[in-house]
Amino acid sequence: MTEPGWQDLARRAASQDGAPERDASDEFARELLAVQLAGAGYALPVERVREIVRLRPITRVPGVPASVCGVISLRGEVFQVVDLRVRLGLPPADATLRRRIVVLHGEDGCTAGLLVDGVREVLRVPEGTLRPAPPDASSAVTALCPRGSAFLSVLDLDAVLDLEDTHAG
Amino acid sequence: MHHILVVEDSSTMRSLLASTLEDLGVEVKVTEATSGFEALRTVPRASFDLIVTDINMPDINGLELISFLKRNPATRSVPILIISTEGTERDRERGLGLGADAYLVKPFEPEELRSLARELLDAPRREV
Amino acid sequence: MASRRSGSRPRSKALREFVSEVEDVLDQLREGVADLLDVRASCGEADPELVNRMFRSAHSLKGAAGSFGFEALGELAHRVEDLLDALRMGRVALESPAVALLDEATGALAALLAEGHAQHEAASVAAVDLIARIEAALCPPASDRGSDDELLLEEPIRRALTEYEEHRVRENVRRGRHLHLLETTLDIQHFEEGLAELSRAAREAGEVISTLPAPGDAPETEIRFSLLVASGLDREAFRSRLHVDGVSVRCVHEGRRVPEAAPPDSERPLPTEPPPGTGELASLKSISGTVRVDTRKLDELMNLVGELVIQRSAIGALARRLASEPDTARLGAELSKLHQGLDRKLQDLQTSVLDARMVPLAQVFEKLSRVVRRLRRDLGKDVRLEIRGGDTELDKLIVEDLVDPLLHVVRNAFDHAIESAEERRQAGKPAEGCIRIEAFQRGNHVVIRVADDGRGIDGEAVQRKAVERGLLAPDESPSRKRLVEALLAPGFSTRATVTETSGRGVGLDVVRTNVTALGGLLDLDWKRGQGTTVSFTLPITLAIVQALVVRVGGERFAIPLASVLETLLVEPEAIQRSERRELLNLRGEPLVLHRLARAFGLPEERDAGEVHVVVVGIGGARLGLRVDALEGKHDAVVKPIQGPVRELHGIAGATELGGQTAILVLDVSALVEDVVGRLEAA
Repeated sequence: MTEPGWQDLARRAASQDGAPERDASDEFARELLAVQLAGAGYALPVERVREIVRLRPITRVPGVPASVCGVISLRGEVFQVVDLRVRLGLPPADATLRRRIVVLHGEDGCTAGLLVDGVREVLRVPEGTLRPAPPDASSAVTALCPRGSAFLSVLDLDAVLDLEDTHAG
Repeated sequence: MHHILVVEDSSTMRSLLASTLEDLGVEVKVTEATSGFEALRTVPRASFDLIVTDINMPDINGLELISFLKRNPATRSVPILIISTEGTERDRERGLGLGADAYLVKPFEPEELRSLARELLDAPRREV
Repeated sequence: MASRRSGSRPRSKALREFVSEVEDVLDQLREGVADLLDVRASCGEADPELVNRMFRSAHSLKGAAGSFGFEALGELAHRVEDLLDALRMGRVALESPAVALLDEATGALAALLAEGHAQHEAASVAAVDLIARIEAALCPPASDRGSDDELLLEEPIRRALTEYEEHRVRENVRRGRHLHLLETTLDIQHFEEGLAELSRAAREAGEVISTLPAPGDAPETEIRFSLLVASGLDREAFRSRLHVDGVSVRCVHEGRRVPEAAPPDSERPLPTEPPPGTGELASLKSISGTVRVDTRKLDELMNLVGELVIQRSAIGALARRLASEPDTARLGAELSKLHQGLDRKLQDLQTSVLDARMVPLAQVFEKLSRVVRRLRRDLGKDVRLEIRGGDTELDKLIVEDLVDPLLHVVRNAFDHAIESAEERRQAGKPAEGCIRIEAFQRGNHVVIRVADDGRGIDGEAVQRKAVERGLLAPDESPSRKRLVEALLAPGFSTRATVTETSGRGVGLDVVRTNVTALGGLLDLDWKRGQGTTVSFTLPITLAIVQALVVRVGGERFAIPLASVLETLLVEPEAIQRSERRELLNLRGEPLVLHRLARAFGLPEERDAGEVHVVVVGIGGARLGLRVDALEGKHDAVVKPIQGPVRELHGIAGATELGGQTAILVLDVSALVEDVVGRLEAA
């Protein structure tokens, strides 16, 4: 089923009996899923994430950009998987990595998968702590999120999934 | 092989917990339950070595689940790890009072979860 | 705070979905506020379930607004959430002036939503003021959290109460209610129905505060549940009200008073209940004889049937193999008979499941009528909605994807097509406009028409603009069909500006794209000055197809059997060449061969003797597909391939063949068109 994450929430809100979680943080916060990619940290908006699954056989598809490594079938749904390393121009992953596929509620209700090296945590980040992306960052990175002494690159999933400029014939 | 039960209603959080625990370094099998009720149904079907549970869930809450697990002879000695949110200190303390072994407050580093899980899995089973 | 969406690409559909969902949540909130204020006016007591529900609505509204960059909306929703949280936790009384702000706040939320991402407009300014007022009202938090009554609650129950549940216990005790402890023992694998029934019955007579599971006497098979229920009814009255067998009721806290003016939840007269004994049975069946089924379960069922159908094919293949060997021919014949029986039953099952996937359009129409009601209220435009054929059924998946396109068309009609009352009077029309939606089945299709009695489409204006944009030749006198084509072209709109309510700048082209993706057609008809009709023609279901599985360059592909004419095994010498093409003499006619591996950029198998050719045909055109191997026939549920790349050339979808591996289904018509088109062009 394809349901954007927040609709899920709304639906749950309308049907659930129990009380929802109540967070103490008072600031307007965003939730981010931190993922690992070629030794660096990246972050995706949680509301776009449906689930995380282990790497499974991917069926190659002819005539797609190189960043689309193929399609997988998950509980009756078939969707494309984008290799985030290839998409961001990072070196290919070595085969020993226990990679994961982050399944996204896609644009227009279309599901898509993102192949990452690993997932780390879900962060709640007050909007104000996000830092602007460096001026020379690609359109895929919208902001930097401080995490300890490091920065996570916050990805704009619309830009990541916009593959028009990356056609590989 | 260690068998871990993850009880959490948010799918993202659940799969994050599961995939973090799968990388424990020892052989593990992770079973996921999407609600307290599902956990109640799952528990008698298998023998778990660790149960990781959220507190705020739609049908029964994590505390009610812990209370059940600790009163059930089959699960009494299974270590329980609570995953909780900031600002719910009181509920978390209650959980420990009911017999849970440890808690983690979101957000946490995957390694924090893994080392706590390893610790709980290695600890000798205590009788309550 | 600056809008962080500025500069990024508009996310039209996601945004529209967001807006329409927010509208729904807002509707729920508004209704809730109205209920609350009613209760408040009659000095009653707020239903904790209602407050909880509203709290959750505000909570999800906050989250959603945040993820779409509606910051003022998010901030205000956050304060509303705080206010409702205070109310549900008893920190603010229903009588408090703060509660009156809720009404204003929901109105302000609606205004903010309408304002969209525009900054510093009236609604944002009003929101800032309102946020401050809610904060001020909540500022000195009411300290009265109820006296710490000593409760006779048993340890296990008290210890497992969350903070909120504890508050509910205190609140009920403060109001002088009784606390009852209900206990029942259920089968551990199927406890949910029994528990749901008990909870429902208990809620009829009070408030269920906690549901505590405990191991039963036989912990492997039984589970005991203790429900803590607050009620104005004493134990005897409560028990006689419950109507559920096998439940013990104990009073763990005596209320201070008899329910002189019992709260409405326990005062409600029994709704024409059947005599005891038949009660439980009757309550399980609804009057219409239908049950609600979780859509995921339906999908699961569909997939299971799909898998069964695939296994049936394998059994059929085995039967044929056995029958072809002299030694096992009899066994093969017997198995074949069994297979035929299985086949018939499976077909029935398939039909039934497909049938269960069908849902009436009424649910979509219901949504449309809500939108029209709201538009009428918000814009003060007098438009009537007439709906016919709501019982027409369509595949659930199609219905889900139909909501947006229909909504768009209805909004267009409301906003653009139907004139103002003044204009209508001048044109000699009734002041009240009318939008008529009708649905009916026609063969294997369903037709949905949205007709308005508005100004119609100015064909000449369309033509002028189409010429300007190079869609029509200047000297052309276009047929209606050509005009419709132009109207549906990407980015074409007959109005220079598109107002907020018309669907946020998304034109009919997007509607058409969505409808085409469902395998449907969109058509337009109009009479100048009299109205426009938009017709959707849609397939009734996305059914199972038979497919031939082939192997090419190490990958497997499925070819829908409907377009396979025959399969051939030919000697390499039989393949002839004409220029760069490979041809085969098929009963005197040339058949063009197409190497799938080459077309798909897959490794080509070095000549391994005989060549497999699948002859496919669409209409009159034929084509021979060269493949490495044939793997047999399968029944396949063709699924759309979702993801960022929308157009996968030559691929119609994917199917699952055992395991979790996806197999691509070829789009034969595209392949034939490619090759035949190239031939014609050459």
